[in-house]
Amino acid sequence: MHNELANYINSQVSDANAVANIAEVGDSSISVSSSKIFDVCKVLKDGEYEYNVLEVITGCDYLEENKIEVSYIIASFTKNTELILKTALDRGGDLKVDSVVSLWSSANFLERETFDMLGVQFEGHPDHRRILCPEDWEGFPLRKDYVPAESYRDMTINPVHKMNIGEREFGAKHAHIKGASTSVKNYAVDAQDENEELNN
Amino acid sequence: MSTIFEQENLKTDLLTINMGPQHPATHGVLRVEIKTDSEIVAEATPYLGYLHRCMEKHCEHLDYRGVIPFTDRMDYLAAMNMEWGYALTVEKMLGTEVPERAQYIRTIVCELQRVASHLMFFGTYAIDLGAFSPFLYAFQDREFILRIFEEISGARLLYNYIWLGGVWNDISDSQLKRIEGFLGELEENINKYHTLVGENKIFIGRTANIGVVSKEMAYDYGATGPVLRASGVDWDLRKKQPYGIYDKFDFDVIVGEGLKGQVGDCWDRYYVRMLEMHESIKILRQCLDGIEEGPIMGKVSKIVKVPKGEIYLKTECPRGELGYHLISDGGKTPYRVKVKSSCFTHVSMLPELAPGQMIADFVATIGSIDIVLGEVDR
Repeated sequence: MHNELANYINSQVSDANAVANIAEVGDSSISVSSSKIFDVCKVLKDGEYEYNVLEVITGCDYLEENKIEVSYIIASFTKNTELILKTALDRGGDLKVDSVVSLWSSANFLERETFDMLGVQFEGHPDHRRILCPEDWEGFPLRKDYVPAESYRDMTINPVHKMNIGEREFGAKHAHIKGASTSVKNYAVDAQDENEELNN
Repeated sequence: MSTIFEQENLKTDLLTINMGPQHPATHGVLRVEIKTDSEIVAEATPYLGYLHRCMEKHCEHLDYRGVIPFTDRMDYLAAMNMEWGYALTVEKMLGTEVPERAQYIRTIVCELQRVASHLMFFGTYAIDLGAFSPFLYAFQDREFILRIFEEISGARLLYNYIWLGGVWNDISDSQLKRIEGFLGELEENINKYHTLVGENKIFIGRTANIGVVSKEMAYDYGATGPVLRASGVDWDLRKKQPYGIYDKFDFDVIVGEGLKGQVGDCWDRYYVRMLEMHESIKILRQCLDGIEEGPIMGKVSKIVKVPKGEIYLKTECPRGELGYHLISDGGKTPYRVKVKSSCFTHVSMLPELAPGQMIADFVATIGSIDIVLGEVDR
């Protein structure tokens, strides 16, 4: 289905460069070039495939490959189909894509969230602001190189006197004893356990 | 004859009011900045983020099992459904087979949770509209469900009960019997509540023809769940894309018909939820008949490593569709988890629904889309 759809997109939109990524595990997707995302969405919405609902706009930061991938998950509630549409943006570039608010109103909040979390700019968005973080927040939390802020305005984030340091120290102290603390046992990931798993 | 404003050469202006964040009618910490012309709302802008914990960032630093308690804290009124969605997503990537009994238990707890959540809606919605006693009625029945959950999972609201591969604790025959007894009682009670509240003339006057979401608008805004069905769309994931063991059960999809006004008004959204509780009872009865002895935990390796790839999986929760978009790089922690929250998209409908409404009707509209801010802000 994805190959067929990629051919359809290429035939309708010139320079879309639609490529189907067929996955063995999980879901397949289609990636298109970032400059044509609006046209591709328009074709998919109004064309014969009838993707009438935009469910999610999300992004993922790939630090090593130096790109940010923006995913549009669209669905057709009339034909009961679903598609993950992707576009990659150069991390060093200006991170801009066209807004699709004029096609689906649900894009309004979703694009604002993606901007808030990853710093992707949506050109032509009617109300381009942060949505979950405060207006004057610095940095984009879901980027992989984000360093958690230590203070916001005159407030300290996670002040030392409010952190439960005793429990952490206890956990670290007893981490080598097997079964000493359930929380340590469940979450400690060490090489020994891994070998056991392979033997099983 | 000229009015007093013209005689005195007075100007009228819009008044800006903040509804929230601490306002009982917004069901949590939603702030809506409304511009009003006397009692009529001219413009409404929602401000979110008062409960934002960036759960998605937390997930990137936890192993796959450790994410489950965080999913509870999104929609704290339907925590079981949140867990099930996440567990299904990871299980599908791992190819884990879940034992039959665990599937049945999952369905039972999730349908009970749906009833509890809709009862909560019923109670709080009546409070929004000025009737206090339905709240107390609803909580009586909800209390039974929470007690059962407390017995099987140890917690009343945030359970961490559904684990990867199954559920962590078995449910006993006596508990199943008590649930069966409760269902008969519940069915009578829901009918009673509906006669008390839903058929009340004042209630109909406050909700019928108010906050109408048309079919086109519902598609445009990506509305799901009861909000979409109340707008007359026959769309239920339990039927359309069955997950778990929903393909075994016989139940109907409730669609709004506009019995008291237009299709997709507040009364329809209320009524769809009331009838959905009856459908849940139907499913629960079939579950109680079909459940058999067996293991409750499938085979999941000690350290969960999800193969490289991505997946988007959605489930039908009480408030709408919940989707998890999981990207894995083959490691022990998820590379990226994106949660698609239905309430988040429903809140984005408010600026379009508000203009022209009275303030009290706007409160009725917010109540009828049944938002939980924990899920909106994540």
